[in-house]
Amino acid sequence: MRTSPGGRVAAAGGVALRLLVAGLFLLPLLWVASASLRAPGLPPPRGVEWIPDPVSLDAWSRLLTLAPVGRALVLSVVVAAIVVPVTILVSSLAGFAIGRMGAPARRTLLGLAVVLLLVPAPALWLTRFLLYRTAGIIDTPLVLLLPAAFGLSPVFVLLYAWGFRRVPTELIEQARMDGAGPFRAWWSVAFPLVLPTTVAVGVLAFVATWGDAVTPLLYLRSDELTTLPLAIRTLQTLDRSDWPILMAGALLLALPAIALFGIAQRRFLADDRIAETFGRRG
Amino acid sequence: MPDPGRVAALRDPWRRGPWLMLAPWLVGSLLLVGLPALLTLLLSLTAYDGISAPVFTGFDAYRIVARDPLAGRALENTLLFLVAAVPLRIIGALGLALLLERPRRGTGTARVAAWIPAVIPDVAAALVWLWIFNPLLGPVNLLLGALGLPTPGWLADPETARIPFVVMAAAGLGEGFVVLLAALKGIPPEIRSAAALDGAGRVATFRAITLPFLVPWLVVLSIRDTVVALQWTLIPALVMTGGDPYYSTLFLPQAIREEAFDRFRYGPGSALIVLLALVAAAVSVGILLLARGRGVTDAD
Repeated sequence: MRTSPGGRVAAAGGVALRLLVAGLFLLPLLWVASASLRAPGLPPPRGVEWIPDPVSLDAWSRLLTLAPVGRALVLSVVVAAIVVPVTILVSSLAGFAIGRMGAPARRTLLGLAVVLLLVPAPALWLTRFLLYRTAGIIDTPLVLLLPAAFGLSPVFVLLYAWGFRRVPTELIEQARMDGAGPFRAWWSVAFPLVLPTTVAVGVLAFVATWGDAVTPLLYLRSDELTTLPLAIRTLQTLDRSDWPILMAGALLLALPAIALFGIAQRRFLADDRIAETFGRRG
Repeated sequence: MPDPGRVAALRDPWRRGPWLMLAPWLVGSLLLVGLPALLTLLLSLTAYDGISAPVFTGFDAYRIVARDPLAGRALENTLLFLVAAVPLRIIGALGLALLLERPRRGTGTARVAAWIPAVIPDVAAALVWLWIFNPLLGPVNLLLGALGLPTPGWLADPETARIPFVVMAAAGLGEGFVVLLAALKGIPPEIRSAAALDGAGRVATFRAITLPFLVPWLVVLSIRDTVVALQWTLIPALVMTGGDPYYSTLFLPQAIREEAFDRFRYGPGSALIVLLALVAAAVSVGILLLARGRGVTDAD
């Protein structure tokens, strides 16, 4: 590595910059955490009160008893465990296929994905409800799983289409010459080479389904089918001024998404791992 | 007797394979996105209250929207918010992805930190920002006051009320950051190291190699952020301002919600939704034209 004084100053500056970024973006989380530990009924703090006085676990204990958190947590985990892999499967297959098409078909399909991307969510709320009602699947867990059938968002298909375009065509042709079908070429040649895309899509798909309070609100009614974001939203309708319990709920909802990305970026987005992935090309 | 070449083509798994791979996404998208979107487009040509059958009224709903001064105000506010928030989010996400690309001391923590505001539920995040920009108690004005700078009324003042929304939207750039981080990892490292060996400086390497490689990703992200930003304001506005003061934070999603879901006027409500989609489409065409011919992978 560089050892010149200038290089060392630059390196120290880089560390300082990274710590500054970390600090700045961590502030909202710290405020949420701190607010969840305040005693109920206190007025909002003047300025920054990092450690509440007194520290109170009241909000957390009420959160775990009041809301049907346990049951909602189980349903949320099951839904995410199904939706995320299916989303990766559907969008990576579509992205790979788009990459294999001739130019006219490819452009049409990419254009279609962009048009689908432009559809605003409110355009689907009422009319999708009417379709679900006609199909008789309102208030069934199916409404939570169905969005995975179209890969949750056209963005994921586009990300995979770009990612697979980076995979050298010779590798796919080689697999074809060796007698592999398209599914085999997708799974054993192309898919491992777009690992960073899969990590990004997986993390984003998890967040999209884990934090989705709109789908259950619109299409589910019975208490047994409450997901975590909906359970936490109920807290707000009970008492809007009860900040501590709402903050505790928000933290409970955010923590799995934070942990997932923490693990994923450490395991899959480190340099050595990618070098190894690209090494396999040779 | 059938043409043997044709039979072979039908049997060739490489012919039908790609279409089989596309089928789930294509069918799912058309049934669950295309069809309901089309129905909303049709509803915008009707008078519909959700109970009795819709009545075809041509472009009446659009005339109602065009005559409504509040709809115009909502459109103006939404566009002002859009042009500030989307570039901030994209440039911020790109800057952070470049800064935190390589594992060095502090990178892991900073990456996770940059991701966090994007995953804090919007109700809670809105409450936090409401307090951060509180004119009397909030840390922003306490800091500005201590530095002897003017302390604006932020959400209480129509002149400054949209700024906290832009800041909040910019803070939630985590998803774009993750996508760009992955995109950077997908650039074959040997290409960039070859450029560095050729004596290209960091800025030159970025402009000649990294940026053109990223163009397709930046295009997708900009379009996505435009669509997201257009509808994102619903919950923050509900929690922070309710559209006040003097309608300075009345954005299109709130107007849609009030029209369609509070007053059950789905005709004009759907017309507002179509207006929202048209804004998204116009901005996206602009983005695509801007990016044309600048990328490595063909972005069309």
